[in-house]
Amino acid sequence: MSNSFWSNIFKKQSNEIQSIANLWQSTPLFNKIPARHIEFLSAKMHVRHFQPDEVIFRQGDQGAGAILVMQGSVRVMANKTELALLEVGDFFGEIALAERDIRTADAFSIGNSTLVYFLKQDLEEWIELEPRLGARFLMNLSSTLAQRLYQVNQLIADQ
Amino acid sequence: MPASVYNKTSSANFQTMKIFVLVIAVILGSFYLMSSVLIPVIISFTLYALFEPATLYLVRHNFNHSVSILIVLLLLVIFGFIATAFAFPQLLDQVGLLQAKLPQILSQLEVFLTRYSSELSAKIGIDLDNSKIIISLLSQFSSLGQSLLLNISDKLLGFAIISLLVPFLTYYLLKDYKSVRNRLMNWLPNSSFELGWLIYHRVARQLQSYTRGVMIQSAVMASICIAGFTLIGMDIAVLLGCITGILNLLPYVGPIISMVLTLLVASAMTPFDPSLLYLGVLVIMSAQIVDNAIVIPAVIAHAVNLHPVQVVLGIIIFGSVFGTLGVILAIPAIATAKIVYNNLYTDILNAHRKTPR
Repeated sequence: MSNSFWSNIFKKQSNEIQSIANLWQSTPLFNKIPARHIEFLSAKMHVRHFQPDEVIFRQGDQGAGAILVMQGSVRVMANKTELALLEVGDFFGEIALAERDIRTADAFSIGNSTLVYFLKQDLEEWIELEPRLGARFLMNLSSTLAQRLYQVNQLIADQ
Repeated sequence: MPASVYNKTSSANFQTMKIFVLVIAVILGSFYLMSSVLIPVIISFTLYALFEPATLYLVRHNFNHSVSILIVLLLLVIFGFIATAFAFPQLLDQVGLLQAKLPQILSQLEVFLTRYSSELSAKIGIDLDNSKIIISLLSQFSSLGQSLLLNISDKLLGFAIISLLVPFLTYYLLKDYKSVRNRLMNWLPNSSFELGWLIYHRVARQLQSYTRGVMIQSAVMASICIAGFTLIGMDIAVLLGCITGILNLLPYVGPIISMVLTLLVASAMTPFDPSLLYLGVLVIMSAQIVDNAIVIPAVIAHAVNLHPVQVVLGIIIFGSVFGTLGVILAIPAIATAKIVYNNLYTDILNAHRKTPR
């Protein structure tokens, strides 16, 4: 028989893990990563709740990982220009999963929102456990970053 | 530097210092509350740092997490049992032998002191009252030595009790530490969540690699010295080698103390063989060369990035405030404090720069 006291303290609810895993599964970061591994990682992620207009991070802050919007929406801005409006299922701040850990824009919660932090530390520990899938994930990450770079270049070229 | 930049820098420094002092106070408070179980807790965390990679290795090879922990701890208990059954009695015998030899070592010290103080008196032209200095020094050294050895015997018994608690704590650390850590980190406010994790990650990584490095370093030093001392026919070779390995935890100071100890043991041997003095020092110096040329670059380089002056001052200050434990914990504590301060400062300075004046 499982001890409900300890399981409540130390474990996330399985439906919450499932929701997080489902959201990540539809992102390019987890392309071709088996569902059970996404669930394993989702159980290690950190859920945070934000108030309306609360700062998520500011440009120049040190970032610890990527962030997924689970509920609500997030505004990403740089130099008072709105860069993106992110809804449920979108993710941002993934640069912090690569080497550089300085945030390159400001992010604010628009209404009440729930965000999921996928920390670089958890990614590193998972890569040690699953090096092959870790390599797959890093390929996905690099193509996501390359795509973002391409979009920014297009934006600059259009101006 | 423009005045506004200077103001922001000094204000960030002041704010960092306030938070830093608060963090240190919380850590010291926790240490005080845990003082009765501090040693088993520190040993368990050390074992956690050492054995976590082994459990992860087993998990990677499709073992269940709890089973992996049990396998690793079982190996630890078996190793501990073998060490207790074979090495412990031998070490206790050697402590007894050292205790018996202590008067001889002290009389040898007296001979050295008499000779060199007379030479010093002749050189500086001041008549030193040798007998008084020697009697005072010897009585202090003798009582210190006796109490130290009695303490070692007491601590060996205390160690047996600790060894029952340590596997229990280590098992739960290996099993639940990360869950508990995540829970505690969730108490951080949103504004400090990422910074808190970054600081934790950097500190944990540094402490883990330092702990592993130092343990490997001590084991290598002890092995070389035990082999070397046995080879040259030194008394209490195993005990002396183990002490040298443990003293190696203290950079700069440790090797000097172990060299003095080796000289004293060699000088108290009967029949007295002067070549053992040189050979004993040669063994320690060879071990130091291996340590500096192979072990340090391979396992502890970059683990802590501290200036030698910071290390020596830290050891003296921590030693005088917290005793032996403070001496051992000085380097990881200073390295941790440095990471915490630097990261807090970077973050606060960035927040100040973003605040419009």
